[in-house]
Amino acid sequence: MSIFESIGIAGTGATTYRKWLDAVSDNLSNMNDAVSTSQSAFQQRYVIAQQSADGKGVQVGGIALGSKEGRIVYDPQNPLADANGNVRYPDIDLSDQMGQLIMAQRGYQANLSVVDRAKDAYQAALQLGRSS
Amino acid sequence: MTIPPIGPLSPVGAPTTIAPAAGTGASGGGDFANALSGGLDKLQQLQSTSDNLAVKAATGSLTDAHDYMIASTQASLATQLTVAVRNKAVDAFNEIMRMQA
Repeated sequence: MSIFESIGIAGTGATTYRKWLDAVSDNLSNMNDAVSTSQSAFQQRYVIAQQSADGKGVQVGGIALGSKEGRIVYDPQNPLADANGNVRYPDIDLSDQMGQLIMAQRGYQANLSVVDRAKDAYQAALQLGRSS
Repeated sequence: MTIPPIGPLSPVGAPTTIAPAAGTGASGGGDFANALSGGLDKLQQLQSTSDNLAVKAATGSLTDAHDYMIASTQASLATQLTVAVRNKAVDAFNEIMRMQA
């Protein structure tokens, strides 16, 4: 890892953005999980990105969880509804998640571009003096 | 008028040996051999990392697709670097063998 460091560092970035994509995917897939008001709603996942312990790159420090309260929706037709006709939905905003999805995707692509460019640069260095 | 006596001469110390310049003489060859074998060890390590990830990709237990591509890129670059160093060394050796009085 020590000789082609930049490639490894970009790899840690790609891994972190992949985990962010996973979190967004988890949030979107559970966006409409209705539960009864006595239970807690699905909590939104937030990826906590931080500098790597060895100072080379980035790592996921953990997952923070959003509101357990969710939002109360009046839906008396729902079999899970309580006596007042309310159910609990997760407090996840679709447009916010789509924005995060674009950021995660672009970040992933940016890190892979770094890998590609670094590879080209190192290969150019290895071609030094080959012309003769 | 008084003339001060001449003090005794301080003894001459033992001659200090001058360290040979780095990279010359008989030790230079050993250094290059060590560097080359160290590089080969590192290359072997990168290749085995890449191979392990290739097996994971084939068996379906690979969590990150880019991890394998990065490992194989690193292994390929390290191979190219090692081959370049080896070719330069062989070229230098051949150049010396061609020398004539």
